[in-house]
Amino acid sequence: MDQSFSIETTEIDGIPVVTVSGEIDVATAPPLRDRLQSLSSSGTPTVVVDLLGVTFLDSTALGVLVGALKRCRESGGDLPLVIGEPRILKVFEITGLTGVFPIFDSVGEAARSVK
Amino acid sequence: MRRMESSAGTTSVDLSIPVRADLVVLARLAAATLASRVGFGVEDIEDLRLAVEELCLSVVGSDDDGRLHLNYECEGDAITVTCRYEADRAPSGSRLGASDDLSLRILDALVDDHGHELRDHRPSAWLSKRRSDAAPLRRDAGAS
Repeated sequence: MDQSFSIETTEIDGIPVVTVSGEIDVATAPPLRDRLQSLSSSGTPTVVVDLLGVTFLDSTALGVLVGALKRCRESGGDLPLVIGEPRILKVFEITGLTGVFPIFDSVGEAARSVK
Repeated sequence: MRRMESSAGTTSVDLSIPVRADLVVLARLAAATLASRVGFGVEDIEDLRLAVEELCLSVVGSDDDGRLHLNYECEGDAITVTCRYEADRAPSGSRLGASDDLSLRILDALVDDHGHELRDHRPSAWLSKRRSDAAPLRRDAGAS
């Protein structure tokens, strides 16, 4: 696994924030999926996913996020994403997912959107 | 990894890696290195890195063993990458031909051309990308 990859879960105003850093690819997407599934299983309807520190993201990662978004919405919540890097935003744009996920520039904005 | 250089200025590099999630990074690392050497800009290199990842994912599934054989051909301002899966058994989870797949949408957007084929139950896929600052191809070449 990529040594620079990390996942951290914190809270802002009572809303869980999953902060991911490094490259999310076929090797590192499974732990992200597990973390998001775990939050979903514990009854958390809304999770902010902070991708500000992500440097690479492939279709496996997109699949994990789409699956998590579906679970959140089924529970009446949402999965706002925080994206700062144009290269990462481009992957969402070319796959048509910018119209599916709520996307914000900062964690604060994302958290305020779901309060 | 094997590198060959022809007299015509074409560089060909072969890379063979076991099908393991944590080793696919080697396929995109090789692509980035070669693209840099033939003068691709940062954005083109990043596009190629992602496209090569998707190329590899398109021919194998998560349960497969065997090897991925990649060939990188650098010629002029273009790179062609071919990814071929080889194993004792057919791949379990190849996404080859899944036209609604996110992976294919990414490839459509990031490279100039790509395709796939199934030969003897072994999938292979290829892509071609030109430098975005390269002169456009003259479609009327030869016309007076």
